[in-house]
Amino acid sequence: MTSETVDTATAPRVLLDPTGERVAATVPRAARPRSLDGLTVGLLNITKPRGDVFLDRLEGLLTERGLRVERYAKPTFTKPAPVDLRHEIATKCDLVIEALAD
Amino acid sequence: MSCSVHDVADLERRGVPSVFVASDEFTVAATAQAASLGIDPARVFVAHPIQDRTDEEISALADAAVTEILKALTAA
Amino acid sequence: MNGVELRDGVVAVVKADCPTCRLVAPLLSTLDVEVVSEDADAGLATSYRLGVEAVPTLVRLKAGEEVERLVGWDRAAWRSFTGVADLGDDLPQYRPGCGSRTQDPGVAEELAVRFGGSQLRARRVELGALEDEAEAIFDRGWTDGLPVVPPTESRVLRMLEGTTRAPDEVVGVVPPDLVHCTVEKVAINAVMAGCRPEYLPVVLAAVEACCTSEFNGHGLLATTYFSGPVVIVNGPVRRAIGMNSGVNALGQGTRANLAVGRALQLVIRNVGGGRPGGVDRATLGNPGKIAFCFAEDEEGSPFEPLSVSRGAPAGASAVTLFAGAGVQPVVDQLSRDPESLARTLAVCLRTVAHPKLVIAFDALIVISPEHGRVFRQAGWDRARLLDELTALLQLPGSELVRGAGGIAEGVPGHLAGTTLPKFRPGGLLVTHAGGRAGLFSAIVAGWASGETGSQPVTREVGT
Repeated sequence: MTSETVDTATAPRVLLDPTGERVAATVPRAARPRSLDGLTVGLLNITKPRGDVFLDRLEGLLTERGLRVERYAKPTFTKPAPVDLRHEIATKCDLVIEALAD
Repeated sequence: MSCSVHDVADLERRGVPSVFVASDEFTVAATAQAASLGIDPARVFVAHPIQDRTDEEISALADAAVTEILKALTAA
Repeated sequence: MNGVELRDGVVAVVKADCPTCRLVAPLLSTLDVEVVSEDADAGLATSYRLGVEAVPTLVRLKAGEEVERLVGWDRAAWRSFTGVADLGDDLPQYRPGCGSRTQDPGVAEELAVRFGGSQLRARRVELGALEDEAEAIFDRGWTDGLPVVPPTESRVLRMLEGTTRAPDEVVGVVPPDLVHCTVEKVAINAVMAGCRPEYLPVVLAAVEACCTSEFNGHGLLATTYFSGPVVIVNGPVRRAIGMNSGVNALGQGTRANLAVGRALQLVIRNVGGGRPGGVDRATLGNPGKIAFCFAEDEEGSPFEPLSVSRGAPAGASAVTLFAGAGVQPVVDQLSRDPESLARTLAVCLRTVAHPKLVIAFDALIVISPEHGRVFRQAGWDRARLLDELTALLQLPGSELVRGAGGIAEGVPGHLAGTTLPKFRPGGLLVTHAGGRAGLFSAIVAGWASGETGSQPVTREVGT
């Protein structure tokens, strides 16, 4: 007889899709704008060495293209950004670029 | 790198289009972390290494990546 | 049989927690049988595959097929089955055995998922290992803004036991995406809404009604107006599933009321694709768009059941769907005769949508028991009340035309010399519900009526 033990601690959690299944069941991304004109980009430094060089250059490139840039930095790259930092970024910025993970 | 996935997931949930940039050492790890979170975040990879490069080389990486980065933040 | 290999010979299915199994255990060890215990997963799988309902069960297999089966301990039957003439001499003649573990409540659906090979067709969505179950569902946009019960396969299978209909039967075509909605999809959303399996037939009837062209669910969803579907339930199903037609019937707290109403909204949202900001453009909406479902109080009512007045058979369970926009209180603590109370209702009904707008909007009146008593004591049935209200709501066009009363809104000026009815024929529904104390009734204003709008629809509740 075959054994069919299921390890419930790591068993995958499967749900049935309640939708009309017209689109994929993944978590959708936030809607992107058609144009970047007049938008503010947040540059979020994960604070690993050398990342500031990358972001400084990006800031120059974006400013050249007419985008407003706000600079932010995480206190440490070892944890997700603190919630108040995320809140501030979300309030002040239309778009975010987080860099540079190495 | 995995923290960037979490940050981007959170910002996206708040409605802010986001993209993270990582060294191409992390392509597999990024996909795995994203899958664990049930998401498909926008991401751009730049050529490893990072630490051993000069400022000019790192600036060149930014020049090379900027178009793809902005594309990830704009509607198709 | 589905992956479990069963050799020819005799299989004995037992479980530890069964006196009869313990009784026959020494005996089984002397026979040429394979003893399989339900206390191990492998044994449970075998038991499920063999369809064992009670233990001990002996099954003889030949060429992979079952040829003979015994349930429980019966000395004569076991002697015949085994060919051992003096089998169980020292045992009692008969013991019925115990229920199989496969029959334990909740276990059957789990086993169906694990071993059964599913009949369900919905796409399976596997959550990421680090995803929180509740957040994952919010993130995929499947909720109405409140958390839902995660629709696992075993929960959906359990829900489907609440109906005799096949999971792949199409219930209706759901707007706005015009998706063919199956019983299975309704069941998934019913699980999410918090329904119990016995609520499912009511939800199915509500979905059917909502998908009719007369109800015009599509238009109702896409409008900037406030309304959403209101579900009024009649018949024996109300009591059977614990619906509330009394105190706070239109409010919170009753699982059956809220879960049925919510399931309908989740089907519209998830299956139909109709969501706020998308196709749903309501300017303000109303809280009832999360759930608005109640049972009519038939037992104390001066009126016959709403469903019967709309053509459903007496004694049948039925739902009536109405495109409702919220609850408007009607206070009348002093009227003791039906004429006075009807006048109260009429002046309050004038304000539906706008006092100067007529015909375009329907309304549902919910008469409470204390007000109902006034009509019952006077012998007024629903038709009598509606006749009275219709007469009272013949309005002079001069009061209604644009500009009248210094109000720009109103009916076109050429109607100034006419008399206009506030409601179209059939545009007023009357139902009876509420607690026994309180001289209040309610008006639920409707949406645009008639051909371009929505008409109330009644559907019988099946099984």
